[in-house]
Amino acid sequence: MKLSTKLTLFITGSKMAIVLLFILALPFLVREIASDYTNRTLRQQQKKVLKIVEKNGLDHYLQGDENYGSYTLLKEEFIAFLPVDTDLKIDAIKDSRRLIEGDTLNYRVLSYTFKSKNKNYLLEIGKTTASIDQYNKPLQRFALYVLITLIVMTILIDLTFIRVLIKPLSAIIKTKLVNSAFPFESQQQRIKTSTTDFKYLDESLILLMKQINEAFYKEREFTSNASHELMTPISILQNKMENFLADENIDEASAIAVVEMMKTVDRLKKITSSLLLISRIENQQYASKEPVQLLPLFEDLIEEIKHRLEEKSIHISLDIAPDVILPDVNKDLIFQLFFNLIHNAIKFNRQDGRISIAGHKLKNGNYMITISDTGIGIPKEDLPFVFDRFRKTNLHSQVGYGLGLAIVKSIAAYLKIDITADSVINEGTTFTLIFRRNTAKL
Amino acid sequence: MKVLIVEDEKTLAYEMEAFLKKNFYVCDLAHSLKSGLEKAELNQYDFILIDLSLPDGDGLEVLKSARKSNPDAAYIIITARTNLKDRVSGLDLGADDYLAKPFYLLELKSRMLAIARRKFNIAEKLIPVGQFQVDIQKRQVLFEGSEIEFSRKEFDLLSYLLIHRGRVLTRVQLSEHIWGTFVNDDYDSNYIDAHIKNIRKKLNARASSEWLETVRGVGYRIKK
Repeated sequence: MKLSTKLTLFITGSKMAIVLLFILALPFLVREIASDYTNRTLRQQQKKVLKIVEKNGLDHYLQGDENYGSYTLLKEEFIAFLPVDTDLKIDAIKDSRRLIEGDTLNYRVLSYTFKSKNKNYLLEIGKTTASIDQYNKPLQRFALYVLITLIVMTILIDLTFIRVLIKPLSAIIKTKLVNSAFPFESQQQRIKTSTTDFKYLDESLILLMKQINEAFYKEREFTSNASHELMTPISILQNKMENFLADENIDEASAIAVVEMMKTVDRLKKITSSLLLISRIENQQYASKEPVQLLPLFEDLIEEIKHRLEEKSIHISLDIAPDVILPDVNKDLIFQLFFNLIHNAIKFNRQDGRISIAGHKLKNGNYMITISDTGIGIPKEDLPFVFDRFRKTNLHSQVGYGLGLAIVKSIAAYLKIDITADSVINEGTTFTLIFRRNTAKL
Repeated sequence: MKVLIVEDEKTLAYEMEAFLKKNFYVCDLAHSLKSGLEKAELNQYDFILIDLSLPDGDGLEVLKSARKSNPDAAYIIITARTNLKDRVSGLDLGADDYLAKPFYLLELKSRMLAIARRKFNIAEKLIPVGQFQVDIQKRQVLFEGSEIEFSRKEFDLLSYLLIHRGRVLTRVQLSEHIWGTFVNDDYDSNYIDAHIKNIRKKLNARASSEWLETVRGVGYRIKK
């Protein structure tokens, strides 16, 4: 999940939770606020009433009666005086139910005792709580609408802000991490941002890429220079031996010894030229690209290698459609790649074995070629390393220099071919090559 | 034929000279760009072999300037610099061939012969070998006027041995000639032997092929 999505979800979620909590708590809050307000109103009314009583005297209201009671037309409020014990002292506000003209109603009642003409009276001022509660539902609804509108608005604002804020991070990911071809471009653009964290991340990545590139180029340069420098002494050795062998006075034993030396020099030469080839592929010196028809390429290759197949009586089957074209490859390299794979398939095969080469178009538009043999196989633990340079994975007597598959890997990487190896000991090995949709015309 | 070898690695130049002298070429050596330019200016050569990496400059300079004084010479670039760019610019400047170091002297000789045939119109007639004739240009092996069917590799092998008639060629030399610069690691394979066996079988069906001999432990040779 993307960071912006996570942030949006979190912000939306947390806002929703808070709003929900608020909506649920609203009746309670309203009740608290309302009762607090009612209490204050009742106190104010108490003061007013006592002032009026002081001014007009209580008798003005009692008019000869023991007590006095009055309520509004809709019974929302009432006020009452009644005589009580001299010792009774009350000053409280609480909810109580009152029966007024046959209606039982809930009131918030202020009860207060006061003295008037040496008599103790109780003043009661009441307000119906129904009138307080009746606003809850509409208030809740109204608050809900307002808050949801506010949430939507703030989410939109947040989203826009997050998008703007995270844009540099997306740019860093897009330009430096995703589909970043190795070696990295030497001139990496800095991302424009005012966020120091992103600046720091970007700078660090650029620095890291630069260091990786430098190490990579150094290794390449070394391989290239070392193998290049080796070529001249190898040349000298080779030519000296050749001339030595051409000497008519050379005896048989010396001739055989020279031939053995020549074989060793030849081996050295092949290792060196393999390394050179790999470094040339990696240095992109095989830029010339052309469309290559696969079937004739395999036919040429099999012709080239036929005598080796005959040597071991290996049967080879080729199942490639004649119209498959790789539009943008280097013919020499692709030939070399298949040559090495088929060469290995022969080398590690058994007498009277089989090799099958087959191409299929996959559902996703990619093109797959498999090269399978019935040879000795590769141990499971060695499979991950078969493409590594100089890694001797096979201790079989026929082992090569461990560079044939390293070359295959370099070519595959250069031509953007995905290659994998599967194997079962004593049953055979299968190499699978996937040509991406845009690299094969079918 | 006169050859100028422009090669700064003296040991290598001497080996090339020794080999070419044995093959009846007359050689001049130059170990720097400067002396290469001078020698090409002063003398006429049939072949100029140029190494590209010279201590005082690029061998391609020799190629450029020598083509004025030696327009008819054949130029072969000999270098460890085998990247495509160098190869293309060398051939663009009029080099006739390009040999990557390290090369076999026998390979150099057969390339020189091929250039000589092409460039100096040295039309070789049919080369007799035993009771057979070989036409290098038409790539045919004839017995009493009729052609014997040879595969491409078989003919390459036979003609290579024939060009170096009288010399023992090792399996390594032969396989390099046949396979070119392919990296393959069974230099000790017996597939050269298998080819020779096939060649002998085809020849023996018509006449003796005892002129194609095996030199035990070393390789093969066609008797002089």
